[in-house]
Amino acid sequence: MSEREAFITNTKCECGHQNPVGTVLCEACGKPLGKESDWGENLEMRYDGVARRSQRVNPSIIDRVWNFFSSVKIAIYLIVLTLLGSMLGTIFPQESTFLNIDASSYYKQEYGTAGDIYYKLGLSHTYESWWFVTLLVMIGASLVICSLDRVLPLYKALTRQKIRKHRQFLTRQKAVLVTEVQEEPEAWVARVVQPMRKKGYRVKTDGGALLAEKHRFSRWGPYVIHIGLIIFLLAVLARGLPGLNMDQHLAFPQGEITQIPDTTYYLKNEKFTVEFYTDEEMPEEFRGKKILPKLFQTKAVLYKCTADCADPTKEPQLTEATTHNIQVNSPLDYKGLKAYQFDYDLTPVLRSVQPVLKNSTTGESYGKFKLDMKNPQRTITAGPYTMTLKEKYMDFGLNEDGQPISKSPYPNAPAFLFLIQGPNLPAEGQQYFYFPKQVDKSQFQQVAINDKLGGSNRFLELEVDNMSDVDFSESTTYLNIRIDRAMPFVWLGAAIVMLGLILGFYWQHRRIWLTVINGELILGGHTNKNWFGFRREIVFILEKVDMVVDEKSIDNGGGLT
Amino acid sequence: MSLLDISSAVFIAAFLLYSGSFMLFTIAIMGRKWSGRKPEEHTARWGKIAFIVSSIGLIFHLIYFFTRWFGAGHIPVSNMYEFMTFLSMMVMVAFTVMYAIYRKVILGLFAVPISIIVMAYAAVFPQEVQPLIPSLQSNYLKIHVTLAALGESFFAVGFAAGLMYLLRTVNFSSKEKADRKQQRLIEFTLFSIIVIIGFLGSVFAFRGAGYETVFVRPNVTIDSAGQENSTIEKVSYRMPPIVAPHNSEIESFQSFLGMKEPLFEAPSWMNGVNAGRKFNTVIWSILSGLLLYGILRLIVRKPLGAAIHPVMEGIDEGDLDEITYRAIAIGFPIFTLGALIFAMIWAQIAWGRFWGWDPKEVWALVTWLFYSAYLHLRLARGWQGRKSAWLAVLGFLVVMFTLVGVNLVIAGLHSYAGTD
Repeated sequence: MSEREAFITNTKCECGHQNPVGTVLCEACGKPLGKESDWGENLEMRYDGVARRSQRVNPSIIDRVWNFFSSVKIAIYLIVLTLLGSMLGTIFPQESTFLNIDASSYYKQEYGTAGDIYYKLGLSHTYESWWFVTLLVMIGASLVICSLDRVLPLYKALTRQKIRKHRQFLTRQKAVLVTEVQEEPEAWVARVVQPMRKKGYRVKTDGGALLAEKHRFSRWGPYVIHIGLIIFLLAVLARGLPGLNMDQHLAFPQGEITQIPDTTYYLKNEKFTVEFYTDEEMPEEFRGKKILPKLFQTKAVLYKCTADCADPTKEPQLTEATTHNIQVNSPLDYKGLKAYQFDYDLTPVLRSVQPVLKNSTTGESYGKFKLDMKNPQRTITAGPYTMTLKEKYMDFGLNEDGQPISKSPYPNAPAFLFLIQGPNLPAEGQQYFYFPKQVDKSQFQQVAINDKLGGSNRFLELEVDNMSDVDFSESTTYLNIRIDRAMPFVWLGAAIVMLGLILGFYWQHRRIWLTVINGELILGGHTNKNWFGFRREIVFILEKVDMVVDEKSIDNGGGLT
Repeated sequence: MSLLDISSAVFIAAFLLYSGSFMLFTIAIMGRKWSGRKPEEHTARWGKIAFIVSSIGLIFHLIYFFTRWFGAGHIPVSNMYEFMTFLSMMVMVAFTVMYAIYRKVILGLFAVPISIIVMAYAAVFPQEVQPLIPSLQSNYLKIHVTLAALGESFFAVGFAAGLMYLLRTVNFSSKEKADRKQQRLIEFTLFSIIVIIGFLGSVFAFRGAGYETVFVRPNVTIDSAGQENSTIEKVSYRMPPIVAPHNSEIESFQSFLGMKEPLFEAPSWMNGVNAGRKFNTVIWSILSGLLLYGILRLIVRKPLGAAIHPVMEGIDEGDLDEITYRAIAIGFPIFTLGALIFAMIWAQIAWGRFWGWDPKEVWALVTWLFYSAYLHLRLARGWQGRKSAWLAVLGFLVVMFTLVGVNLVIAGLHSYAGTD
């Protein structure tokens, strides 16, 4: 309302200074502009009463957008909407908290109709939804424009302050003192300079007028906070760019060198340890009832591939890059590649077996060979026979059509289909299914399958003679492998925010203006917060020049911010 | 005596000293008209004694904290009991800081009881020292939790001062619509505080009496392989069951005032055997709160707000408004550092991501956004006085939900904090 009226008022001050439209207090002498009836009891000191870009007359489209985002009111609406949106997202767990669910049925099944509505409104992925991201982007825009709109005029106003101010400017501050002074104006003013300097004020005088100011930097606090937030938000957005971010959960069986996909790094889990607190370490109430883990640790070695990395026919050449005992609060960190302890599995995992090809009728043995679960050889020669690996299933199962498939890439139920060629076999060879694990052998009926494949007069079998021919990996550790190139900027943003908060909240910008004229002292004071302490300081300074004033008497109403 | 025994004893001493200090603050304010001395002199004298007692209490509280730290081998902020005792200590620290700046005796009358209530709430939880699980074994436990609690404690003092401002300025004799609305809101705020006291009262009364009733509930789940798993869930009620868990059977029932069975069963959407127990606790809290409120109303014979209002007489409302704002302005950077920045750094180290929209994280952000809105409204839109005071009161509700409500209702990754 009053802003709009200000557009049509003459903005030339009686001191002769021509102010831009939107100015509240004359840039030169501080006299309030506009109609006298609009003036409140106290002056509007925000941004020192200067005009902002958003107060232009005849705004263009760009001006309108600028005006929209430069409004603190809009900024507050954005904050409140983000706040409410964030709250909505915590009603039910977000989809991202589950590893494998079918969200479309899960929410209905777990939480009933309310859950179904929640899912259909898209609230099961609130924080990735278009409207939430839009809110964050708008807050970013508001941060930039709000700050620019205010900081430049404020900077101008604070660097060009006049010492002598209009009487109206002084007497309508929130801290005011008008009293008699017998001394010569210049002598009195000269006397008050010293105690002010002692209190840390920078003091300028102009005859019988004085301006004392301290901690102006505190005024930049809010803008520093906003710059920090912008850097933070941009860094967060940048994490979505390809190449800056990698996040995968991988299994590392103990004792095996495993490649980290999409990188030239390999990681070996030398030993995984899990420890639990003993009964003595637990409080009595828990003994025998609760199990508390004490330590999860993966002794890891990270290798970097130096040659033959992409050539499948050759073994990659690895050199050790670093070693680290990865614990929950201590990830491995090598040039931005990080490995976090995520989970573990103590079920032994079959790594390799050394079966023997035997003639079941004669008992004749054709030699032992090593069959690696992960990287089995393509062809194996055992005596006069050649075995060609046709298919490999890590986690054997049958699909809906009864066809064999691998249910997962983990060697839970490994199975191999060989084509055996050699003496006394059909020319095209004989197919043979091999399940290295005894349990799978009976569960999936290896004998029956092979009888079907090779006919009843087959005579070759693969068998493991000795337990020492079976190699297990004792446990598996699951690590979360991450690369996040934007993180330093996230921390930089956060650090700047913190700096701004400290500047803005733990110091206050304090200014005292005074004029002594015709035997009368007129003092006005302004601070952006903590008026209580400010009034106390003014009283203290005046005491030093033998003027006793009550703290409450300089409180000119409403001085609360 | 082991360090931990000393620790518990000193904790009780701190509790008693705070209670004594609260009574002394009450005498300082309420007794100023009857003492025969000049009211200001009386208040200053007794206020000083009260502050000294509260400071001794704080020293005892600190002794509790450090003896428990050395006794346990890790900083005692790792479960709900320890966190709440720490929070109550930080409320006293924040109060002491604000008192040192403003020297307003009346602040003690409202801030000290917050600390006492939080301390009593801590005693609801199991008090044993638990060894730290791997995710908590970090130096960030020391700075993230402590700074977050300190920031929140300044918000608590802001809440106390905001409530005082409202009690001071709301016109309790007016019959006008706007004033009536304010009166009702104040009354509701006070009633909510009384419900919390009612909750504490019923917990300790039934615990003291050794009450226990046990329910069992068969629970059938179907796991991923299509296998049916049947388990029996057991829940022990420490308050007479007005409401039983959904679909449950009584295993043992201790009768209470002739009550032989639960009055009704929890609705089906209250899934889980503990939901029924929590619902039962809520009912008991409200019942005992109502009882307590009724008794207080019978004593004072007018709304509680109107009864407290005269106590605030002569207190400068501008000072109260400034204390509210100042407490929040001091707490905000501390809260940002502790509850968000250090939280993010720790999350990055422990979980590999600095932010995961875990409910606790979201609510810390909600708290931060709320106080950001408060600061913008006050500094840029000139919201002072009443509106600002209401925001300070509401803000503390958000803080408490973040600290307690999230664990009770939502859980998530911070669930190791363990709640009742």
